[in-house]
Amino acid sequence: MKQLFVTYGGMITPLGSTIDAHTRALKNGQSGVTVVENSGFNQENWPLGKITTLHTENRYQELLSNLCDALIQNHGAPLFASSKTLIIVSSTKADIDALPNDTFASTRSIIETKLAPKNKPIIISNACISGVIAINTAADYLSTDEYDQCVVMGIDALSDFVVFGFQSLFALSDVPSQPFDKNRKGICIGEAAGAVIVSKAPIATSAFSVRYLGGSSSNDANHISGPSRTGEGLFRSVTNTFKRSGISPDQIDYISAHGTGTLYNDEMESIAFDRLQLTAVPLNSWKGYFGHTLGAAGIIEVLASMITMENDLLFKSIGFEETGTSCPLNVIKENTAQKVNTVLKTASGFGGGNASLILSKEV
Amino acid sequence: MKIVASVKLSPAGMFVNGNERKIAGVAEESWTKTIYSELGLNYPKFYKMDPLAKMAFLGINILQESAELAEMETEEVALIFANSSSSQATDLKFIESYDERGNPSPSLFVYTLPNILTGELAIFKKWYGENVFFINENFDASFFLDQINFYLRKGANKCLCGWVNAMDDAEECFLFLVSAEDGTITTEELTTLYKQ
Repeated sequence: MKQLFVTYGGMITPLGSTIDAHTRALKNGQSGVTVVENSGFNQENWPLGKITTLHTENRYQELLSNLCDALIQNHGAPLFASSKTLIIVSSTKADIDALPNDTFASTRSIIETKLAPKNKPIIISNACISGVIAINTAADYLSTDEYDQCVVMGIDALSDFVVFGFQSLFALSDVPSQPFDKNRKGICIGEAAGAVIVSKAPIATSAFSVRYLGGSSSNDANHISGPSRTGEGLFRSVTNTFKRSGISPDQIDYISAHGTGTLYNDEMESIAFDRLQLTAVPLNSWKGYFGHTLGAAGIIEVLASMITMENDLLFKSIGFEETGTSCPLNVIKENTAQKVNTVLKTASGFGGGNASLILSKEV
Repeated sequence: MKIVASVKLSPAGMFVNGNERKIAGVAEESWTKTIYSELGLNYPKFYKMDPLAKMAFLGINILQESAELAEMETEEVALIFANSSSSQATDLKFIESYDERGNPSPSLFVYTLPNILTGELAIFKKWYGENVFFINENFDASFFLDQINFYLRKGANKCLCGWVNAMDDAEECFLFLVSAEDGTITTEELTTLYKQ
């Protein structure tokens, strides 16, 4: 595979709207998860990763619009209007409030208006692994001569739909989520919009970039809404990603895990990482910082992992105190300065999907 | 690459490898149930599925009559799916469950993602391969051919592709299985099979 670069596009979460703001917030150990009154179906006050600065009625459209503005501010409009640029969007529910009309129509129209792309954007909706698959799909398109760069966006907004849905599954935590901890109780839903640019050559407007080495997906073939007890799909995806990247487990400096904070998901991940001989590698979940941002999660967590790489600083896994998985993992408890060259990012989700990719500063 | 087998299902009829297959049995309460009975299937989970997964499940059962799906190595099949309406039919039903019936339904909520259908196929066939679900405005043969090329190049030996849509006024399911064997697939050929 040709060598590919990955650079920051934009990042909007409860912790801020720029990479600099996020770097500061992460260094300070800030969490974007707060109690939101009357957010539950029976007026429960669920902790959620809510962006309090959104002010219009349609959170999704505002978030997407803000992300497009940030992209132009960071990289200039011509990049997005280039015939050699392809936009890929990852979202699970998109503009869910548009129902009964097309929930993806505003995605296309906002991008068209704001970024004036020459090529039709591609949309991926594959549950919580959408973001990681979207980056892997960007690499597929860059294996041809047709494009020089892909702008990969991940975006999902808070909605009654999603909160009531996870509430109906008894999957929500009534305290800020505690991924991989013994006392974890479930998920906190979040909202975010983020973008990375995957390119054949370094992007001139960006000071920092990492290399994309490879990625893959695999299905558990086990259950539509519960993870495999053996971590089968995650094991297979990471194994395949190692193969495609030409990387071995001992070369991984840090794992950005999925870590939703549910009993079964985190347990599954620990089993898969044990089978992959990765239990000693420092690992965190970003869900304690942002909540679970669904279709945005893969992109937001890659961006946070790039901040980790840029600063050579491992960030603590917020909410983790005591081992709570049958295979103990090296969950990061305190921010730790350490060389971070090569990173494994994983994701797992409904529909039995698992996906992973590897980024590196040095090749 | 070449098309090993294809199936198109809709209320208008059933086409297998380009040929119409008549339904002999009596019509049941829904057209998918009619085909389920016609095929003599016994998979109780079918009744729990949403329209997308039901159609895809029927499709795969018809495909495996003409393709040797059972002999496939578990990891070599990539599932490449797309539609234009995501899971909107089930999304509306889920909203109805909390807006009108007073309780968000977990059994509806789990089907409010389009890729649940690929999960159902993976479970049914024990396929551990790569999965991806796209939202496109229309069926686009050249888009699928690009994707098939990517996945064959990445190591899949077969790609099961599908365009499965469920909206109030229209339900349709087009599945086609592609192998890496020598041959070419034209966009015209693929579009013709889809349009049946």
